[in-house]
Amino acid sequence: MTTQIARMLASKAKDEGRLCYITNCIRYLESRNLSLREYWQAGAELIGGERVGADAEAVALALDMLDSIGIRASVDLGSMGVIRKLMERYRIMDYKRLARAIASKSIDDLRKVTCDSKALETFTMLMTKRGGAELIGEVAEKAGCLGEDYEYFRSLYRALEAYGCASRVFVDLSTIREMAYYNGLVFEIFTPALGLPIGGGGRYDAMMKDFGIDTKATGFALSIDLCAKALGGSDVKKNNDTLKVYYREGFREKAIGLARILRGEGKCCTLDAYRGERSGILVGERTVLIESGEEYEP
Amino acid sequence: MSPDRQGRLIFALPNKGRMRDPALRLLESAGIRGLGEERAYLSKTTDPEIDLLSVRAADIPVYVYYGIADLGITGRDIVAETGLEVYELADLGFGCCDLVVAVSRESGIRSPSEIPHGSKVATEFPNVTKAYFDELGVQVETITLKGAVEITPRLGLATAIVDISSTGATLEKNRLAPIGRVMSSSARLICNKISYKTKYDKVEAITNKLKGLSP
Repeated sequence: MTTQIARMLASKAKDEGRLCYITNCIRYLESRNLSLREYWQAGAELIGGERVGADAEAVALALDMLDSIGIRASVDLGSMGVIRKLMERYRIMDYKRLARAIASKSIDDLRKVTCDSKALETFTMLMTKRGGAELIGEVAEKAGCLGEDYEYFRSLYRALEAYGCASRVFVDLSTIREMAYYNGLVFEIFTPALGLPIGGGGRYDAMMKDFGIDTKATGFALSIDLCAKALGGSDVKKNNDTLKVYYREGFREKAIGLARILRGEGKCCTLDAYRGERSGILVGERTVLIESGEEYEP
Repeated sequence: MSPDRQGRLIFALPNKGRMRDPALRLLESAGIRGLGEERAYLSKTTDPEIDLLSVRAADIPVYVYYGIADLGITGRDIVAETGLEVYELADLGFGCCDLVVAVSRESGIRSPSEIPHGSKVATEFPNVTKAYFDELGVQVETITLKGAVEITPRLGLATAIVDISSTGATLEKNRLAPIGRVMSSSARLICNKISYKTKYDKVEAITNKLKGLSP
């Protein structure tokens, strides 16, 4: 959805805003691919804003959303900016092969991309270590660059501390998102209950620029199907509190009035004509609870 | 990955074929020995935190990708063929072979780029084969078979084959000549991406142990 949102905002010349969506997405996959072609996604995009603050907000919001439905998740952070800077530093041209080697943590594949011993050392460290912001410091020291990125990650962790979620966020620079439009922070969200990432996101300022707007943008998406799976299907909160409101002939409008009051109070209710049901609320001359016959007051 | 076994680790191994025995030996050297019947799909091991899953080598990337198995041993050629995203943590150094393009010795074709456009290529690796010839710029029709691929040029089903070869003896026996190498393969330790994160210490410990024991 990110591309479509970026295009929509660009066509309206909007360079600031916060958007969210829940929608079904359809993607093209080669026939050998076993994944679903249509899937449900919930996401949020933050356009504009200060880089560290916006990235921290996106990561924290994703974790908050999952907490609110009972999924305790963690996040791994990567950086497309770091990868590109290291490519420049070691004069590596073949991004596709390098990305494949990094994403599969395959040292064997990495050796086919570069023979430079320093590059091999740095990328091996990047692919095999997982930790906090200090990891960027270690890679920066080895590579002799990335000072700015180290500062960025330290600030990001301070902001995540303030959101109370830093202990669930790790740096793993082999985190690479499939979408080519990410140009800064990228992240994957996961939970031990599933073998696949439950969501992910990242920064895509460059794509906004491609659409003609010079602004910052970050966001994330969660797979609704995988959220349901992580909750184990039966654990998905079911709303058993739906009130069933029935009306006798000639009392439909009175029942609609009652339903509006109930819904206004945030309660769930359904309306139907009375056909001898044995439980619920019955609206007639009097409004009563069917089971007990007692008067019902909303 | 079922929540009831979050603390445990499932290790997928080939249930037959050229990689099974070396994989079992390697695990045994690392102190992990299966306790169940030999043909059992799922069995406990001498390490109380590890269970063994015995399935076809070709299916191991699928079990690992979906997190049913946390770790697995299978060929690099198989991982490439499935195209599934898994971590390749170590080259275990056995099961070495090449995936080669071969043609009938009488065909006069000396390199893959000389294979005429529209030719049929028989293989058990259709995805890797397609990617290879696409990159080469040669349009071929890929015929997927489940075995005995070497016989197809002689029977007129295919002009060339793409198949694994370790000594070249089977190609020789079927009067085939290798004319190109698609990729080199060997047994790899693969890992589910989420298991790597959520069971990091255990996965790292096993990886380091197996790396140290590999030839």
